[in-house]
Amino acid sequence: MLSLKLAWRNLFRNTRRTILTCLLIGSSLVVLILVDGLVLGMMDVMVGGITKTLEGEAQVSHHEFRTNLEVEYVIENPEPLIAKIQQDPNVSGFGPRVIVGGMIASSYNTTGGLIYGVDADKELSVSRLADAIVEGEYLSGADRELLMGQPMVDLLEIKLGDRLVLTAAAVDSNEITQELFRLTGVFEFGPEEMDENLVFINLEKAQPLLGMQGHLHQIALQFNDPELSKNPNLPLFRELTQGDIEALGWLDLQPSIGAMIEMSNYSTLIVGLVLFLLTSLGVINSMFMSIYERIYEFGVAKAIGTTPWQIIQLVLFEAWLLALLSCLFGLVCAYFTGDYFSENGIPMGKMEVSGIVVDGNMYTRLAPYQFVNFPVYVTLLTLAAALYPAVFASRIVPTQALQKAL
Amino acid sequence: MTKVIETRDLLRKFGSEETEVIALDHVSIDIEEGEFTAIIGPSGSGKTTLLHLIGGLDEPDSGAVYLSGTNIAQMSGNELSDFRRDHIGFIFQAYNLIPVLSAEENIEYIMLLQGVPAAKRKARVQEMLAMVGLEGLGDRRPAHLSGGQQQRVAVARAMASNPDIILADEPTANLDSKTGISLLDVMRELNEQQNMTFVFSTHDQKIMDRATRLIHLRDGAVEKDERK
Repeated sequence: MLSLKLAWRNLFRNTRRTILTCLLIGSSLVVLILVDGLVLGMMDVMVGGITKTLEGEAQVSHHEFRTNLEVEYVIENPEPLIAKIQQDPNVSGFGPRVIVGGMIASSYNTTGGLIYGVDADKELSVSRLADAIVEGEYLSGADRELLMGQPMVDLLEIKLGDRLVLTAAAVDSNEITQELFRLTGVFEFGPEEMDENLVFINLEKAQPLLGMQGHLHQIALQFNDPELSKNPNLPLFRELTQGDIEALGWLDLQPSIGAMIEMSNYSTLIVGLVLFLLTSLGVINSMFMSIYERIYEFGVAKAIGTTPWQIIQLVLFEAWLLALLSCLFGLVCAYFTGDYFSENGIPMGKMEVSGIVVDGNMYTRLAPYQFVNFPVYVTLLTLAAALYPAVFASRIVPTQALQKAL
Repeated sequence: MTKVIETRDLLRKFGSEETEVIALDHVSIDIEEGEFTAIIGPSGSGKTTLLHLIGGLDEPDSGAVYLSGTNIAQMSGNELSDFRRDHIGFIFQAYNLIPVLSAEENIEYIMLLQGVPAAKRKARVQEMLAMVGLEGLGDRRPAHLSGGQQQRVAVARAMASNPDIILADEPTANLDSKTGISLLDVMRELNEQQNMTFVFSTHDQKIMDRATRLIHLRDGAVEKDERK
């Protein structure tokens, strides 16, 4: 107990140095928590960008359709699959779709695009399509409705209510099929690739037009708990996977994003290591200064019978108390700054990462582990950094220390 | 009488070849239990070096130191620390109290290292404070004590663990005459009452007057050894 008291009092023999060291260690903790919070926030945006925009958290489709977008590979009998999906309490929504490449022609221009036939009501629960409408109306299920992105609207030189002709090859017969639609809504998802190339029509209209009566290309799924979709062994996935029909979560559908998440974890680790290295140099410097100032005392302490281990213990106690103070400061600062940025965000401008548009602010996400694990790492680091000065102090030769001071 | 300190042929050199200085030149002395010995001599005669070697704070180039019959050269670092803690009390010229601990805590520190139970420690601290005439000042830190009072605390600290030997390096050098005499009287009293062995390194005539034995050093060698 006296050792602890001694360590505590030693810490405040040079208050300015202790405060500066605390600021250094505490700031490292703040930066570490904020960087990790920012990475979590960015991952949320990226994953949300994938799963909430259009793709869904999981998809059921024919293996060949998923890999090559070959339209003849359809889900021929989707009803039993839909029944299983509807029965699963973990599923919050699903959207049946047909997806075919075709030509879109106005009176003035023609362009190619990907035609999505979607169920207007069910699509609401799996994608952001309705929210992305910037002009006109979302699909109501009425005849000849069509939605397209603003870049395509500009290319075709049309406005709301104008007539358009969709031309595609029927899936069942490969015959060319055409149908007249009217532009009823304009959407803006963000990624140019989507806004330039996608058009949406009602599923009921798309299936007969494309020769796909009763068939689907894709069923997009959303879960009550998004984490479920990361589990490739989810029972629902196993039940829905039959023959060439497969059910996959977004991590399997977008392996590049999974790799990016893993990479971002490494980036946090690297930032942490650099911070730890700089901090440990500061701690070593501070502890050495403290020891050099008291070299005479250590000499006396050893002379009167303090063992080298007890000297090491004393220096480590000081480092431990320093780390506790620093963590306390760091945690309070990290909580308030992290909380502020999670509410107000950090202005980042518009950027696109892997086809996902991040526009405006980047928000931090604080997690309990940041406030438990990181302070433990910082404390262990401080103790590790103090070990070298502690061993140095334990090796002080009393006679030399006494002579130096005199 | 029991020999508590024996030095055999102690040789201690400092510096490298060109600047080599022989601080102790084959010194052999025996000090018996209860002696109040002063090692005297001019500056650079080797007094402090001899005291440090006796206390195991330094190692001789050759020769040996036996404390209560044990060759301290054969002890490991920790064993030597433990031996110093349990058998030797040090008093230094510059008091050398730990500045962040109060007078009581400074005295208690060594007993804490010994693992003495708290109640016993507290009682012993009060006993020591009374012995050196510092009752009521135990809660003061060294900065709030006079030089004489600090040296009294240092004496109390050295005595607290009930050591066999007290080694005092110029203990009165920084004290005024009156305070020095008062402190020496305390030490002499302890020596007589508890038969504790005192070894001083000093220039101070007051210590020489009170010492029962004077060992004269010159150029690192024993010039004269006189018992009163």
